[in-house]
Amino acid sequence: MVISLSWLRELVDISVDVATLAERLTLAGNEVERIHDQGADFEGVVIAEVKGLRPHPNADKLQLAAVWTGQATVEVVTGATNLSVGDRVPLALEGARLGERRIKRQVFRGVWSQGMLCSPIELGLGEDATGILILDDGIEGHDLHEVYPADTILVLEIKSNRPDLLCHLGIAREVSAIFGVPLKPPAVPSDRPPMASKLTTIEALDGCRRFVGRLIKGVNNMTRPPAWMTARLRSAGVRPISIVVDITNYVMLEMGQPMHAFDFQHLNGGRVVVRRAHEGEELLCLDGFKRLLRATDLVVADSEHAQGLAGIIGGEETAITLQTADVLLEAATWEPGSIRRTARALGLRTEASQRFEKGLSPALALPAIDRAAALIGELAGGKPTSSVDLYPDPLKAILIEIAPDRIDRVLGLSIKHTDAESILERLEFKIERSDGRLAVRPPDFRLDCSIPEDVVEEVGRIYGYDRVPSTLPGERVPVRDLYERQDADEIAREVLAGREVDEAVTNSLISADGTANIRLPAAPASLARITNPMAETRNALRASLLPGLLEALALNARQDQAGARLFEVGPAFWRGKLDRVDEPRMLAVALHVPSGGAPAALIELRNLQAILATVRDRLAIESTEFRQSQATGFHPGRTAEIVDQGEPIGVVGEVHPDVLAQLDLPGRAVAAEVLFDRLTADGRRVPQARPLPRFPGVRRDLTVVIRGKIASNDLVQVIRQLGGYTLRDISMQSEYQGPQVGAGARSLSFRLLYQADDRTLTNDEVAGIQQRIVEGLKQRFGAEVRS
Amino acid sequence: MSVNVGDLDAIGIDARRRIASAPDEAALEQLRVELLGKKGGLTAALRGLGRLPADQRAAAGARANSLKAEIEGLLATRAQQLQETRIGTLADREWVDVTFVPNPIRRGHLHPLTLILREVKAIFSRIGYDVALGPQVEDEFHNFEALNIPQDHPARDTMDSFYLEDGKLLLRTHTSPVQIRYMQSHTPPIRIIAPGAVYRRDATDPSHGSQFYQFEGLVVDHDIRLSDLKGTIEYFARSLFGSDRRIRISGDHFPFTEPSIGASVSCGLCDGAGCRSCKAGWLEILGAGMVHPQVLRNGGIDPQHFSGFAFGAGLDRLAMLKYNVNDLRMFLDKDVSFLRQF
Repeated sequence: MVISLSWLRELVDISVDVATLAERLTLAGNEVERIHDQGADFEGVVIAEVKGLRPHPNADKLQLAAVWTGQATVEVVTGATNLSVGDRVPLALEGARLGERRIKRQVFRGVWSQGMLCSPIELGLGEDATGILILDDGIEGHDLHEVYPADTILVLEIKSNRPDLLCHLGIAREVSAIFGVPLKPPAVPSDRPPMASKLTTIEALDGCRRFVGRLIKGVNNMTRPPAWMTARLRSAGVRPISIVVDITNYVMLEMGQPMHAFDFQHLNGGRVVVRRAHEGEELLCLDGFKRLLRATDLVVADSEHAQGLAGIIGGEETAITLQTADVLLEAATWEPGSIRRTARALGLRTEASQRFEKGLSPALALPAIDRAAALIGELAGGKPTSSVDLYPDPLKAILIEIAPDRIDRVLGLSIKHTDAESILERLEFKIERSDGRLAVRPPDFRLDCSIPEDVVEEVGRIYGYDRVPSTLPGERVPVRDLYERQDADEIAREVLAGREVDEAVTNSLISADGTANIRLPAAPASLARITNPMAETRNALRASLLPGLLEALALNARQDQAGARLFEVGPAFWRGKLDRVDEPRMLAVALHVPSGGAPAALIELRNLQAILATVRDRLAIESTEFRQSQATGFHPGRTAEIVDQGEPIGVVGEVHPDVLAQLDLPGRAVAAEVLFDRLTADGRRVPQARPLPRFPGVRRDLTVVIRGKIASNDLVQVIRQLGGYTLRDISMQSEYQGPQVGAGARSLSFRLLYQADDRTLTNDEVAGIQQRIVEGLKQRFGAEVRS
Repeated sequence: MSVNVGDLDAIGIDARRRIASAPDEAALEQLRVELLGKKGGLTAALRGLGRLPADQRAAAGARANSLKAEIEGLLATRAQQLQETRIGTLADREWVDVTFVPNPIRRGHLHPLTLILREVKAIFSRIGYDVALGPQVEDEFHNFEALNIPQDHPARDTMDSFYLEDGKLLLRTHTSPVQIRYMQSHTPPIRIIAPGAVYRRDATDPSHGSQFYQFEGLVVDHDIRLSDLKGTIEYFARSLFGSDRRIRISGDHFPFTEPSIGASVSCGLCDGAGCRSCKAGWLEILGAGMVHPQVLRNGGIDPQHFSGFAFGAGLDRLAMLKYNVNDLRMFLDKDVSFLRQF
């Protein structure tokens, strides 16, 4: 909302400086976003009229404008293309000031320019820098300040629940309450011409809460509007058009009620109907665009067809012209939802629609039309002849009862009754106090107040939240909830960071078709899709974190950061049955192996498995194991399922070459994804101490050579069976493939720990067990023992 | 073997020469063993004293003992000399350039959103808040209706949502639905924060993204007041940004709180004087208010007996302010050059 300070001063006494005014308005919830001194950015700029235009002899993009200053015609060079002969324009001659800059006569491409024509931005009168400001008024040779007098402009952000503040009177009322100064509302005469209800019918009762009309005859719309009015309109950013239209805009900016004026003589049948549009009905709007309407759009029509889009924009056919003599004024209250839907569907937001879609009070309509009719009579000579006021379901007065200590209790302070009441009265609430109970009637223009908390807010924000003390909630509370550790993800993050993996956060929204097909076997194959995506590359929810992380590896590789190592902890989205989407929390890791081929990838795969095992060991009680497996998007020979008590909870492996090719990721990559809560058992591991061994253990290394796709896990199982109760621990030590063992063979080294609780084991005893194991491995897997 | 004075003299001359020229402490130690050890000449001379006639014995004994003392003294002095030389030349012999610092041990870096969330959690856990989580795929009831945002409410304009194919589920536009879910499943006293990703169909620019991060706070108990909210905001903001910051509370509007307030912290760059990074010296950090009685009811809590406050802030915005990140889009950019700065 753009507020002219000089206009505001007419409605309320302001005794503080602008900075204080802005600060207090902001604290009360009406944020002042910008303060601007209009007319301070120029000096010595005069009004001139364009008399002639001709091309610059030496420059295609410039032209020469001959302008009349009231005393002489001077020639100026301009680059603007929006000029026509007859336009009134601001002219800065030698000696004039624009901002910090003094204007001088100057030669442009060999032609003297006696001064310059100014754009709105150069004058500090708007943001437009593309063309010269074309004035709607002004006398040649006179100072531009006659049209744009010095004023201070405040730009406020009004909250959506306060459409009553989208006008100068509303803001003046706030100022009155904040500073405790009297409000000076405009005089609104209430003598009305007789009712003529045949002028209007409301057919669409669900769209119109009130329709107030006034027929005014014998208007002279050629009358020049007074300078104070046009100056205020300009200050508020509204372009003056003609006296009748200017008055409707003026009253909207003053009192907050948008209005429309029809040329009565062009209304077929001499009456209007509020109805829904016919599907496919067309309307040529005031902005020159013809729009196709839908059956849900609300229109104001005459007996033939739509003449305006209710609450949004008027129609061209019945628009006010300079020749208009009889005017039908409309001040209606429209259903916000209907206005909002139509405005959104048409992509058309106007001063009127923005107010109506926030829900204006029907109480505003009548005083606004009284004020506008009076101004038209006074300034343009019309005479109101008949009235309409269709108001099928009038507002019911609300009485809000507030317990005596309610305000203090909610705000946590102690405010004097008289202070609270004074604030409410300045905001035009009616107060009834009896037996200590406070009963409050909000003013009829406030639809946002209905419960005691609303009243508390009014007192609080005006009194000032800076005067509320600072406390912390606290009283004796029963012991009930126990502390639960929830930091499993933090522990996992530390483990991963310690292994040189960086944390990334990737988008939950991905492309349903273009995304790499790689995921946990347990994830559903079909994605949960978005019906209204902003881009086709973000039209579904991820079922796996891996595509995003692998894309990140590729992105970093392209940016000269090959070899990125990334992890993410976050939800995947699994489409379930019955319109449900499950959100399992995942841990995913992706490591880029830019060079070194299969052997390098194998090393990273082992690393990644070790990282996952470390996370598990830090957090979980139950052990998990890796099982040779296959999964979508993974290398068929280098992939393991992570199994927890027989159930797969994750996958780890090298990324399939097809996926790498699709992502354009050079080299190789290894990746893992695990159901995080399963891997970490919610982080509820409690370390358990065991008695230290009383007798020393015996360590023996065992190295065997095997051929073919035999899983170490299977060997371990056999070793464990044959090792008996003294075999306490088996760990995998190393793996070797190469010339020393021959093609197609692998050597695997295990370290075995033997220990007994009741004696020291003898070498012979251990050697016997080792021998048993060796024979068993030979028999089952054809394994050869290496000495 | 007998001892005569000439032998002792020869031993003395030899010992003095060799001690003086011993090159290092190891050679000196070897020399000491040689001179004073069991096989040394002096020891042999002393052992031979007993065979001397009684009248010579005393004089020779005195002579030998004084030579022994002299040699011991010379050895000690030389040892001291050699040690001083060794230590004294250490700086030259073993000099290294300690300004050549190799890269510190490479560690992975945690995401700035993780870091800021850790701080937020730590700040609130100290005053007794639990962390609650809710689904990111929500229904309209929890995301809108239960929060006093019916269909056609203007607030929906600012929270344009992504809908799933069934048309009923949507991606939550704020973390506030966790308020409703938590109240439905718990009874007061309630003290939680609820962090997480939220989604809006907003055009992306340096301060907007279609996926961003918020955290919500909710306290419900007997007799919770706006002063408690104000104190909590001040405690939080000054813990996060520094005790020298000032906090400003202004009026605001949210459908699910009444009264509603907004909180700003004084700008750390200009100290409140006003600069390009702030609005007239202030940085907006969160929106808050007293929980609307209807929202309490929607969460199954009787507003006659309980009251509460709620607040919501942008985690990414806090991270931007705290870590001097000037573009919100960087958080989801996955560029390791960015990630490794944290």
